[in-house]
Amino acid sequence: MRKHTNPSTGSFSLPDGARLRALAGVRWGLLLAALALAAIGLATVHSASAELAVDYLPRQAAWIGVGLVACAAAFAVDHRLLLAFALPLYLLSLLLLVLVLLVGHEAGGAQGWLRVGGFGFQPSELAKLATALLLARMLARIGGGHLTGRDTARALGVVAVPMLLTVVEPDLGGAVMFLPVVAGMLFVCGLPWRLVTVAALLALLAGGVAWGQFMKPYQKERVLTFLDAERDPSGAGYQARQSKIAVGSGELLGKGYMQGSQSQLRFLPARHTDFILAVLAEERGFLGVATVLLLYGAYLAGGAVVAIRAGDRSGLLLVTGLLSMIGFHVLYNSAMVVGLVPITGIPLPFLSYGGSFLTVCFFATGLILGIDYRRWVNR
Amino acid sequence: MWVREERAALVGRVRLLSRLTIGLLVALAAAFWVVQVVRGSTYRELADNNRLRRLTVRAPRGTIYDRAGRVLVENAPSYNLTLDRSETSDLAASLAFAAGALDRPVGELESALARAARLPHFAPVLLAEGLALDQVAHFEVARLEHPEFAVEVTHRRLYRLGAEGAHLFGYLGEITEEELGREPGRYVAGDWIGRRGIERAFDAQLRGQDGERVVVVDSRGQLVDEYRRELGRPGEPLTLTIDLELQRLAEELMAGQTGSVVALDPRNGEIRALVSHPSFDPNLFARRLRRDEWRELVEDTRHPLQNRAIQSVYSPGSVFKPIVALAALAEGVVREDERIHCAGTATYYGQRRRCWHRGGHGWVDLRTALKQSCDIYFYELGDRLGAARLARHARLFGLGRPTGLEIDGEKGGLVPDDEWSRRVRGHPWYPGETISVAIGQSALLTTPLQVAVAYAALANGGELVVPHLVRGERPPAPAKRLPIAPRHLAAVRDGLWQVVNAQGTGAAAFAAGLDIAGKTGTVQVVAQETWIDSATLPWEQRDHAWFASYAPAGDPRLVVVVFVEHGGKGSRAAAPVAKALHEKAHESEHGIVQPS
Repeated sequence: MRKHTNPSTGSFSLPDGARLRALAGVRWGLLLAALALAAIGLATVHSASAELAVDYLPRQAAWIGVGLVACAAAFAVDHRLLLAFALPLYLLSLLLLVLVLLVGHEAGGAQGWLRVGGFGFQPSELAKLATALLLARMLARIGGGHLTGRDTARALGVVAVPMLLTVVEPDLGGAVMFLPVVAGMLFVCGLPWRLVTVAALLALLAGGVAWGQFMKPYQKERVLTFLDAERDPSGAGYQARQSKIAVGSGELLGKGYMQGSQSQLRFLPARHTDFILAVLAEERGFLGVATVLLLYGAYLAGGAVVAIRAGDRSGLLLVTGLLSMIGFHVLYNSAMVVGLVPITGIPLPFLSYGGSFLTVCFFATGLILGIDYRRWVNR
Repeated sequence: MWVREERAALVGRVRLLSRLTIGLLVALAAAFWVVQVVRGSTYRELADNNRLRRLTVRAPRGTIYDRAGRVLVENAPSYNLTLDRSETSDLAASLAFAAGALDRPVGELESALARAARLPHFAPVLLAEGLALDQVAHFEVARLEHPEFAVEVTHRRLYRLGAEGAHLFGYLGEITEEELGREPGRYVAGDWIGRRGIERAFDAQLRGQDGERVVVVDSRGQLVDEYRRELGRPGEPLTLTIDLELQRLAEELMAGQTGSVVALDPRNGEIRALVSHPSFDPNLFARRLRRDEWRELVEDTRHPLQNRAIQSVYSPGSVFKPIVALAALAEGVVREDERIHCAGTATYYGQRRRCWHRGGHGWVDLRTALKQSCDIYFYELGDRLGAARLARHARLFGLGRPTGLEIDGEKGGLVPDDEWSRRVRGHPWYPGETISVAIGQSALLTTPLQVAVAYAALANGGELVVPHLVRGERPPAPAKRLPIAPRHLAAVRDGLWQVVNAQGTGAAAFAAGLDIAGKTGTVQVVAQETWIDSATLPWEQRDHAWFASYAPAGDPRLVVVVFVEHGGKGSRAAAPVAKALHEKAHESEHGIVQPS
């Protein structure tokens, strides 16, 4: 019997030699950086959970395993096949977002979790991916060096639905994370700047409404506390203050692995998840932080190279969207840990404990590498 | 679909976005550099403040023993209730629970909480002190529902004798802001210091040196590890010269009376018992005194806080007579066998003077005058001596100035003379006043302790000892040798022996085989025109009763001075107390144990 081509690889067929050459030419540094970050994250999660009831290291290791499988799967699938199914995927993710509103589990004040077996799962992470896919597909179809207002509005509409569903969970922080994805992609496509100005004004207005209508008192308190750190040093300002103390007290070389008093004595909140970088900063010092930032830099720069040399517009846009998401997480989380921006529940890619986001990040890495692999084919 | 120009535009923007991101990463790295390296040491300090707590390890205060090593004052565990406000979501409910368990009004706890308003939120607040064990159990049982409460064990001063010996031991009080400022560095806020008595006089020895523990705590304030420990030095124990049994007996004998007892060893000045009544319970001061308790003590018209043995001055009355007799003998104004006639009254400087004995004593010599406490005889001696010589001899015996006892607050009293009169009263001394001073009245004022020291000099052959409560703590000031001719002293001592043993005024103190010698004294409070028994008067108008004594007469080992305010006659109110104490001391010395 004649061998059928794997449906997932679609029309992709190269001679073995070319295939090897293509494989060798893939930007593997991306994966190396991701793995290095995940390894650092694993060790840090272990230290951060030393004083918790459970050691999160085995679970995080398992999630990394899941992530690698997701990465391999994403690599194996031609992104154009995924783009072909973008709409159903998008609709499925919306369905899950609705489902989570009905039967979701609560964590940290938001009802954003679906439980499958023993693992929690956040549909909003999946929705981000699906949205990125749908946007890439939509925006790739539009030619020209700039977007029209209508195109922009359509793209924003695609983002608005899952965002709003996430807002009502309520998970404002998670909802905001849709924005960098669409913003990155729209920016690269060429924004109509006059419209952007109008939209910015509208956003300000919407922000005001959100402040008055939707934001929970604790969220308002966080923003106010950020604006005035002395507002309540024992209450909402506590986390920001303790994080900054943890980071600063690490100094150049850190206090040593598992020796951070802020982390080990539980002064630092959410230290194995959103504040994992503070733990690293305390125990490994500025050198540890610099290493991690360098790895992120390498990852993002490598990703940008993949975007730039992508074979097709949809590939470029998809990589841009995924990198925007990861990049924004990195920037915001680090800035939050060092006390530059208000605290919100944004995990650090590859480092923070948490399965959904880790899996999404590895999946995105697989997608990016896959796009790079197929850059000669999809021209 | 993938037009070159379009691609270039898109790629250009990707590059822009990428550079922007890398730029932001570099900026972030710079922010971390500032926080971690430039300002790192500041945050390091903050982190240490977070995790390290300095705990004072209170040095246990020194135990106070009596001369035989029996415990008088020690430290006992005390249970204090603290509240951690950060552990409770409903403060009102927590307070209500505590009020119920303690059986105290909620308002009291609320005011305790209000005092701690300035403390940081997570710092435990002291709600109540001195919990009973069943109350402690209440909170221990409810530990799960009420994690905000904790019972801490501290040490509290325990005065085993309660109100007995209170003036001797004194009490403790929390240091005031003012005292902290006076000697910077010596004390810290929250220290308890000796306020009176031994506790104050020997505070430095008793308090020791507090230690310090630096511990590592987690974010909930739970102790995780010990970081550093500086050992303190426990307070030194103190052994008093006090005889517990004698002290207790004196307290018992004075029960219900107002007055004081001083018992000391005339050979060295060691105080065996020192009692002042009414008394107070120094244990009340071992915790924070409640306002009403303090007011009760201060406003009590009988002044229980006053140490009457050293802080109250009284006319010595007839107990002064032996000193007048020795002065007259020494100055040669009378011979010991010279007889003076007592007709019950006599007139000096135009003023008619009465003897206490209406019918008069007839012809009396020095011994009989002492034995009968004849006033007329001593009026005559006083007149012959004159104010200046009388005052000089009174001062020789230590009257009119503090004796030098370790505990402070001692009053000097007054030995009046012409110089004093001119300085204070603005007019010369009247010779007629000397007549009153000769029987221990007028402006002459002494403390019971001064009288005891003066009698010790009579008892030990003329040495003026410095009374003290603690052996070996201070080098005892050398006793001062008084210029008394042994022959004169023997005559006076013989008279004092007769007071008790030859049907004198102190016959009530007679104890067979004990050879007690002494002198009664009765001090008029209200000038009386006629000879009446003051026992029939209202209490506050009755005479004060003195009895000053030593025993055994041949080789005195104990001086006992008893003073009873408004006790009536010294022979009746004070002498029996002294007798009982001499008996007790005699029993102890000869190993006679009374069945208890």
